[in-house]
Amino acid sequence: MTEDSIMKEHIVCPFCGCLCDDIMVGVEDNKITENKNGCTISQARFLNHYDDRLEMNASLKELVKKAAEIIVKSKRLLVYGLSSTENDAHREAYKIAEEVGGVVDNTSSVCHGPTILGRQESGEPVASLAETRHRADLIIYWGSNPQFAHPRHMSRYTRADGMYIKDGKKDRKIWVVDIRKTISAGVADKFVKINPGSDLEVISALRAIARGKVLDVDEVGGLSIEEMTELVETMKNAKYGVLFFGLGLTQSKGRHRNIDAAIRLIQDLNHFTKWGMMPMRGHYNVAGANKTSTWQTGYPYAVDYARGYPRYQPGEYTAVDMLVRGEADAFLNIAADPAAHFPKDAVKHLAKIPVINIDPKRNMTSLLAKVNIQTAIAGIECDGAATRMDGLPLYLKKVVDPPDGILPDRDVLRMIYDEVRRLKK
Amino acid sequence: MSRVGVEALLTSGRTLKQGRTMELGKLGPEYLQEVGICEMDKVTMEALGLEEGDAVRVETIHGSVIVKSKIDRRAEPGVVFIPCGPYANAVTGPDTEGTGMPGFKSVSAQLFAAKGENVLDVEALLKQMTEEE
Repeated sequence: MTEDSIMKEHIVCPFCGCLCDDIMVGVEDNKITENKNGCTISQARFLNHYDDRLEMNASLKELVKKAAEIIVKSKRLLVYGLSSTENDAHREAYKIAEEVGGVVDNTSSVCHGPTILGRQESGEPVASLAETRHRADLIIYWGSNPQFAHPRHMSRYTRADGMYIKDGKKDRKIWVVDIRKTISAGVADKFVKINPGSDLEVISALRAIARGKVLDVDEVGGLSIEEMTELVETMKNAKYGVLFFGLGLTQSKGRHRNIDAAIRLIQDLNHFTKWGMMPMRGHYNVAGANKTSTWQTGYPYAVDYARGYPRYQPGEYTAVDMLVRGEADAFLNIAADPAAHFPKDAVKHLAKIPVINIDPKRNMTSLLAKVNIQTAIAGIECDGAATRMDGLPLYLKKVVDPPDGILPDRDVLRMIYDEVRRLKK
Repeated sequence: MSRVGVEALLTSGRTLKQGRTMELGKLGPEYLQEVGICEMDKVTMEALGLEEGDAVRVETIHGSVIVKSKIDRRAEPGVVFIPCGPYANAVTGPDTEGTGMPGFKSVSAQLFAAKGENVLDVEALLKQMTEEE
């Protein structure tokens, strides 16, 4: 660090659902020179924020007008993304969908959407990350690889020392349940390997054993009854357990039924001791997108405004289904990259319709888009609010100025909304 | 091209390098290098007659894609892995079973050696995905 540089403290990292709030960022001449405490992904996000920015082929005013014209002309607009931007931008996106009778969905439809469906069926036995760190003596990661997807989750919450768990490495056990031995499984105290697609059977068998039933089989999903009985006994005898689950549970066979069963397993275990569970949310504000969508539309994702009032139907108003059916005739993408993360058949339709892409950086969707508008990165170049994986809202700070003339998502969306209203008059 | 293949379940997910290179640029060579790969166990690699880094064709009922092979020393035969991204999606099915969620995990796949064939860059892959009938 030189004399001109300053160190900004308590910066929240806008990458994954951990929203680590202990990042220290060195700034010199409006440039980020250092990221202390951040993981390798956080380092790349902060130190390379100026690189590879989205190119705009006209002025912001012209692009906003073009975007508004596409939206007004469309019969079935699909607004999608939102998980990598802050809450105020979400509000403006919902306003656009409502104004033109479109559909608004967020990326949870391809990550923890099934988690929400499971919760709507069975409830939400949630824990907080602070409680986990201070009290939990048994942690299970099911279908989740935190060392890769949430690199500081273990070191900050599940291997860290807490108020009642004095030594996070000795006083707490970590298990990983997965279909393959991941890097997280390698560092866990126990790796439980199950057969691919057998999560629902295994969870159901664990529930039956917890309730004292005798199963008339030798093994379920690759685990012997003896092995499962031992797991259940340890789970019942934990003082405080937390089940963290990832896309290995939500994206595999059974989808929301897996979550439904897992919630009921946690409810069963609460007859004996204290257990909670939490989804390992990927994008830093995907949990926030579900919350803002629920505040404003009444539903967490997959919301249709075609009748003038919000309706909710996953499987029908979810982005992949809307595209594969060929239903959407215009696409407003905000802070996501569906061209890189949707199955081929959905991307094919995306290439046939006008796409408006609002993002700080170039991505695959920008290659398909008719209108590309570069925006500021929330949490680095503008402020905002986001929600951590356990539901805690955190304030994202502005660390440096965005590139010249580049506005936050919320301002660009507000301009598009105003232009849409003007064109509709 | 070899028609003697190995059957496996294809799964996808995040990797640390995929996350890091995504931040460096999603159209850049680093990202391509980290998502245009298929991780497999040593036995599968030997059965296909591949050295690490050789091209492998991954075929499912939904399509086929060429990626580079990579050894995962922790892996066992029967399950192979492509990091989440455009290459995995080129062979993933669109059916969400009414939930909104496509089947990103555990797709039945066949692997074939494709030595000497090129891994398409992200732009060329997108073109192929959107233009093929």
